[in-house]
Amino acid sequence: MEDKERNFPDVLKRESTRRGFLKGSVIAAGSAVALATIGGLAAKEVHAQAKPPEPKKDLMKFLFAERQNCTGCRACEYACSVFHTGVVRPSVARVHVMKYKDVIDVPVICWHCSDRPCIEACPTTPKAIVADPNHNGIILNEKICLGAKCLKCKEVCPADYVWVNPDNGQPLLCDMCAGEPACVKACADQSGNPQGPCLMANKLGFGVNMAFRDVKPEQAGADLLDLMFYPNTVGKRVTPVKTVKTKKARR
Amino acid sequence: MAAPKGGCFGKVLEIDLNKLTYKAREVPDEIYQKAIGGNGLAAYFMTNEYKAHKDPLAEDTFIYFGPGPLNGTYCIATRTSIANMSPYTGKISHAETGAHLGNEIKWAGWDGIYVKGRAKKPVWISIVDDKVEFKDATKLWGKDSVETHEAIIRELKDPYARTAVIGPAGENQVPIACVIVERFRAAARSGTGMLMGNKKLKGIAVRGTKAVPVVDNAKFMEMANYAKKLCVEKEAWQGIKRWGTAGLLELKHYVDGSLITKNFQTTWYPDIVKIGGEEANRRFWKRHVACNHCPVHCLKLGVIREGKYRGLIAEGPEYESGGLLGSNLGMTDLNAMLILIEACDAYGLDNISTGGILGFTTELVERGILKPADIDGLKPKWGDGDTYLELIRRLAHKEGKAGKLLSKGVTKMAKEIGKGADYYAAVVKGKELAAHDPRGDKARAYSYVFGSCGGDHHEGASTRGLAIFAMLNSLSVCSFATGLIWGGENAKITVGMLNPLCGWNMTEDDYWATGKRILTMERCFNVREGISRKDDRLPKRLMTEKLPAGPKKGAVFTEEDTKKFQDEFYSFVGWDANGVPTEATLKALGLEYLIDDIAAARKEYKL
Repeated sequence: MEDKERNFPDVLKRESTRRGFLKGSVIAAGSAVALATIGGLAAKEVHAQAKPPEPKKDLMKFLFAERQNCTGCRACEYACSVFHTGVVRPSVARVHVMKYKDVIDVPVICWHCSDRPCIEACPTTPKAIVADPNHNGIILNEKICLGAKCLKCKEVCPADYVWVNPDNGQPLLCDMCAGEPACVKACADQSGNPQGPCLMANKLGFGVNMAFRDVKPEQAGADLLDLMFYPNTVGKRVTPVKTVKTKKARR
Repeated sequence: MAAPKGGCFGKVLEIDLNKLTYKAREVPDEIYQKAIGGNGLAAYFMTNEYKAHKDPLAEDTFIYFGPGPLNGTYCIATRTSIANMSPYTGKISHAETGAHLGNEIKWAGWDGIYVKGRAKKPVWISIVDDKVEFKDATKLWGKDSVETHEAIIRELKDPYARTAVIGPAGENQVPIACVIVERFRAAARSGTGMLMGNKKLKGIAVRGTKAVPVVDNAKFMEMANYAKKLCVEKEAWQGIKRWGTAGLLELKHYVDGSLITKNFQTTWYPDIVKIGGEEANRRFWKRHVACNHCPVHCLKLGVIREGKYRGLIAEGPEYESGGLLGSNLGMTDLNAMLILIEACDAYGLDNISTGGILGFTTELVERGILKPADIDGLKPKWGDGDTYLELIRRLAHKEGKAGKLLSKGVTKMAKEIGKGADYYAAVVKGKELAAHDPRGDKARAYSYVFGSCGGDHHEGASTRGLAIFAMLNSLSVCSFATGLIWGGENAKITVGMLNPLCGWNMTEDDYWATGKRILTMERCFNVREGISRKDDRLPKRLMTEKLPAGPKKGAVFTEEDTKKFQDEFYSFVGWDANGVPTEATLKALGLEYLIDDIAAARKEYKL
């Protein structure tokens, strides 16, 4: 549990006060993943949803990954690179699927933090990266960006998300595909059966993820391994191979 | 001789392990049109470069890691083919594997990796785009496939790199050793693991950042999306998505009557419910894993939750591994079977051949033909997981009498043991059969009998199916998620994707001609090694012994069936009554360079 406390401090503190909100929700309140979705902005956004929706609200504002559901098919990477460059090229995709110990697939996405540390860290004036007010996407101005010699945004990203374009050394940031994320569509198309999609947008109507975003991909992998393959302690391998190599056989 | 416009880069990475050097080998567009890539291209290289009666373990033999033109593009479920001349059977051989390796090779800017020579010390090769490094693998030598994979990833510091490694079985040059790709996928059945061990190549790791060029992207995407839609929506495939191929264990037992049981004694195995997909779902599975861009996610990972191996994370059962190491060995304990599967993977052994050998040994011991004293006093019994695990360990290390005998494979074992043991040997062209009993599932005999590797289940289940599979294996796409779903539309979809991708003018007739050309190239190679109609048949047992129970009770594969299959297939591909490609066929398919070889083979074997 030590890991989880470190990873999701906000969630654990606020759990009792947010219970009411969760009532009736389809999410199983017990799971660590579901807990992590409850965060600071929840109440505010729910109020906002109650009002009749304005046309602009149809745009997706947040990404969400139900990490347990990822099958590692990389349809999101394919869709992302096709949307941005026309051809399949995962090295310039804005979403990635990382293998953790080859057992767990961890979708590495931009959580679209509300405090946006990447934009804060950007040293140029005007800023080379800005958040689009309509759909929350992070837009990069390639002319201003200092590229490989700076990459402050990559350094500060709490989710270890930012990749660098191998062509020009500039960061690859999630622009939300102008409010209609291609990765979310691809994921929904692809993995309907049996466990449902992994990537989602505007999950529960709010974008929070303040707890989620501080989890580096490796930590998320270790956590998921612990969670899904519960009898196995992280990092310890049980194998018939080792056990069979007994001294008896050697003699 | 023009460079390819799209789909391929026109260069294959040629690695020479003798000098530890590499270079780009230019391959013109015409050859891709002729042989596509993957197996086809490997067959082209092999028929061109090898003379008849080549020693498969000679220094200058090669292993070809071949993606096809569709790898690295938007096409769903692309795979990797690994082809070489098999040191196990002495014939041309290819193995297909899932996971992401093939795409990564393409993204690194190569159409394939061609490895020849023999290193002085164990090495592994790191390929990052154009940069190729030879790394010392002395410390990895002796480690199992999982540890090797993890060590390589650790050294590269890149969780996105993809690997293909061998385990101890490959190092010890066990002829049924396989290549383990990314921890859980295996490229088996071709003896590639032994060849890699012989070349002192412990593994390769690939990472790429480029994109595959496409000539007409809009048209290509249209067809690729159509192909994907068919796969996503296919009603019958929802079960595969849910149960993987493990679901077929029960299906083949109850419906098809073709589940391999106790070395082909029967196909009726009621205990299958204890080791099949449903039980695995209850007691073992935890998550689904997909290959590249594949909606089917047929690989199931799970963890053993009780007993001595509590906490063991493994994959399976799949139909073949669950059949050969499950019902074939009379296993009734799911966990014990999964441990056998995991042990095979970790040692880098072919699940199918290992299962075949163990089943054969058990039956011989049961019938008193083989004495326990001949296999170090071990007494394998149906369902005895611990003894099997010990036998697998000895097999992988060629340890003791048992290891030495079993590692020879069923064909040579039968010869050595004698006393009528060859009646119980279920082999075609020197290789153990997979988990489909052709008495219950007659169409599968096409694959076993005519497939160029011999005894292989993955080469099509009809005359046209063989041509389709030859194409699928050369395009390196999954037969499961693409070929079988596309069905009658195979030619249309493949041509519809290849033309805009590569800028070709292929017609559907060309598709069939290409399929036949690849089959014929592979056949010519095998004809040079002495294969003809007499070898295109199932083992004696399956043609004389009737199925004693099950839905196909009394079925047997008759001599008439064999003749019908042979005539039908030979006339489809344009081979003569001896199963040798005719001169007219070779000319029509543009394989003139093989005419002399075939004429020589006809003289040599009096065909």
